Amino acid sequence: MDSNENSNQNDSQDVEGSFYYALGHELRRKIIKIIGDNEFSSFTLLKKELGVSTGTIYHHLDTLSELIKQKKDKKYYLKELGVHAYNSLKDDIKLIREKGFAIREFKSPFLRRLMVITSIRFIQFKKEDRIYAILISIGILIIGTILSRLNQFYPLLLFFIEPNENNLELNFQILLILSFLLNFIIYFIIIEGISRLFYDKNENTLNFFISFAIVFFPMVLYLLLHYIFVYSGIFDISIINFLDKVLMIILQVWSLWLLSYSMSVKKGLKIETTLIVSLLLHYGGFTIILLTLI
Amino acid sequence: MEKVKFQIKLKKNLDFIIFGFTGSILLILSEFFYWFSNYTLLDRYVIATSVAIEDSFLYLFPFLSGIICLAASIIVVYDFKLRIKSVILSSVGIGFLLIFFIDFLSQESDYILSLGVGFYLFLTGFLLIVINVINILLTKEKESR
Repeated sequence: MDSNENSNQNDSQDVEGSFYYALGHELRRKIIKIIGDNEFSSFTLLKKELGVSTGTIYHHLDTLSELIKQKKDKKYYLKELGVHAYNSLKDDIKLIREKGFAIREFKSPFLRRLMVITSIRFIQFKKEDRIYAILISIGILIIGTILSRLNQFYPLLLFFIEPNENNLELNFQILLILSFLLNFIIYFIIIEGISRLFYDKNENTLNFFISFAIVFFPMVLYLLLHYIFVYSGIFDISIINFLDKVLMIILQVWSLWLLSYSMSVKKGLKIETTLIVSLLLHYGGFTIILLTLI
Repeated sequence: MEKVKFQIKLKKNLDFIIFGFTGSILLILSEFFYWFSNYTLLDRYVIATSVAIEDSFLYLFPFLSGIICLAASIIVVYDFKLRIKSVILSSVGIGFLLIFFIDFLSQESDYILSLGVGFYLFLTGFLLIVINVINILLTKEKESR
């Protein structure tokens, strides 16, 4: 019984090995695609399409013996495993070419739960929902500007600074009032620039811009909570002060997640890559604040 | 057999152990070493609490951050597929450090040139944790972890 199981296991490992080995070479993948696309293929067609020597083609056809067969009419056809390989190749390419392919990175229940608070509908809005997305973005920016003025906290990327306004000239004071909006535009330009320059991702710029304000939603929430704490006079209580800082940290991380997610969805980058970009930018912002403090 | 598997896992995750675990432990330890002439951060926390300073909790931030980052490092060593969770958790830990850094520098800038070994442990731990996060994100899952 055990020996039967072992031999079955070895057989399946052999088939699996030849399957992946066959797909491991560009020419062999092309052969499978040519046969799959045309249902069958003659040797002449393969030679014409591949543009390599006869010997090379025969070598690869031999290697593909588990996936293709030559029938009596001398034409090459896909075996069952070959059909599977062909479908797999087709699906992979389709998946990679899909604009929202980064979604496959979010399979785990934890990340799916994160996506609930990420408001996928807002980030991946449909064409008919564009007007709502614009209105939400404008709302976030206006409320953010008002709250940052009320708190006298001004954003620098995802941090806040508290400059002494009395020492500043009028022009700078006006700039401070608009700092939430300016920060939004500068942050977007940096992210879009990085996507274009380093990753060659030029698509979806307008939609990305429209939904970009969602990145600042947690910051607006923090400004609101902070204002409530200060206005109600409980901010001086040690535990509330601690809670305020913890909330700021958690909401910052939420903003970073939103930024990574939007970039991944809109620019088709891997979530790991977008996390690196957003974290490095975040630490860059921190370094600027540190330098100004010193 | 289990022992061999455990050793292989340790070897494969050596980089995460070196950066993540060491960084977190240094952060935790920095709480108990001298920062100022005769005071550890824990001493400062006790003093600040006794005179009811509102942000006395600030002095516990490196310790809290160390615990959070240690948990994040354990997660990624336990299962590499949980790397995004680990990175998010580490980001929370690093967030504590950044807030501490900014508040600490603005409040204690007079002592900046005479800081003790605790500060340097903290700084090393902080850098190791940042490197660990970037390393986790750069490491491909396919590398048969």
